[in-house]
Amino acid sequence: MNTTAKILVIIPCYNEEETIVETVERLRSACPEVDFLVINDCSTDRSAALLESHHYPYLNLPVNLGIGGGVQCGYRYARANGYDVAVQMDGDGQHDPAYLSAVVEPVLSGQYDMCIGSRFITREGFQTSFMRRVGIRFLSALIKLLCGQRVQDVTSGFRAVNAELIDYFADHYASDYPEPEAILSSTLAGYKVGEVPVIMHERQGGVSSIRTFQSAYFMIKVSLSLIIDRLSIKKTRR
Amino acid sequence: MTPQFQFIMILGAVLLLIIIFMLLKKGKMTVKYSLLWLALAVVLVIFAVCPYVVYVLRDLLDVQMPVNLVFMLVFCFVLVVLISLSIAVSQLAEKCKRLTQENALLEKRVRELEKKL
Repeated sequence: MNTTAKILVIIPCYNEEETIVETVERLRSACPEVDFLVINDCSTDRSAALLESHHYPYLNLPVNLGIGGGVQCGYRYARANGYDVAVQMDGDGQHDPAYLSAVVEPVLSGQYDMCIGSRFITREGFQTSFMRRVGIRFLSALIKLLCGQRVQDVTSGFRAVNAELIDYFADHYASDYPEPEAILSSTLAGYKVGEVPVIMHERQGGVSSIRTFQSAYFMIKVSLSLIIDRLSIKKTRR
Repeated sequence: MTPQFQFIMILGAVLLLIIIFMLLKKGKMTVKYSLLWLALAVVLVIFAVCPYVVYVLRDLLDVQMPVNLVFMLVFCFVLVVLISLSIAVSQLAEKCKRLTQENALLEKRVRELEKKL
C-alpha cells in the first residue's frame, strides 16, 4: 500500500496461543507499514505471555468482555491515537493479510466508509458450514429489508473503517455478535458500507466466538438486536 | 378480608421492613434500591389496616375476592421491581465494560512508560 494514512490492524485474541504468533508474523511480513494491536480478551491460556515475549503491542482486558467489547476497545485506542483507518482481523488465521490492502483500499479512496472482506462474492476458499451459510443468508436478507443495504458476508470480521466510523464505533458497538449489527447501525447512521472479495481459510486453532451459531439463541438475539437498532437509530443522510 | 389475612399482611410487611432495614444498616443494600421494597411494605400495611381501600379497588376493577386483588397487585409490584433490576444490571454491565476498556488502555500506557524508565 502506498499511503501516508495511519492504519491500525485490530486483532481480537481470546485463547489463540496456537495461532496468534503466526497471524501477527504473517501480517508483519505482508504489510510491514501498518501498525497493529492485539486485544487479549482475558485469555486463560498462554496468549498473554506470548504477546509479551514477542514484544507485540497489545491490550490486556482485565475481565473477559467478549468479541464486541474487545474490538471496541481497539477502536477507542485507534481514536485516542489518531488513526485514519482501522482494520479488524481475526487472530485465528482465518483472514489472510495478503487481502489487507484490498479491504483498506476502498476506505482510503473514500469509496466506502466501511469495507468488508467477503468470502461469498467469488465463492473461493473456505466457505463455512451449510447451516452457517443459511443463517448468514437470513441475516443478510434481514439487513437488506431493514436498511436497503445488501451485504452478503454479514458475519465477516475482516473489515476496514475510516476515522469517522472509528469515532462512531468507539462509542457505539454491540457486545456479543457485533458484526451484523455494526453493518446496520453504520448504514442507518448514513455511512457507506460495501464488500470486496477475499479468500478466507479455515480457522487453524482455538474455537470460534460464534460457537452457538447453530443454536436458535444466536439468530433470535441478532435478529432482535437488528430490529431494535432499526427502531432506535435515526436514519441520516450524509 | 378475614382478620387472619390482615394479620398475615401486617406480619409480612413488618418482616419485610425489618429485613430491608437490616440490609441497609449492614450496608448490603443502598437506599436507592430499598425504596421500592419499602413502598411495598407501606402499601401492605395500608391494605391491612384499612381494608376499605381494597374494597373500593375491588369494586372499581370488579374482582370477586379482595384477596385476589391484593395478590394481583403484589405480583405486579414484584414485576416492576424485577424490571427495574434488569435495567440496573444492564447499566452496570455497560459501565463495567467502559471501565474494563479504559483500564486496558491505561495498562498499556503504564507498561510502555515503565519500559522507557
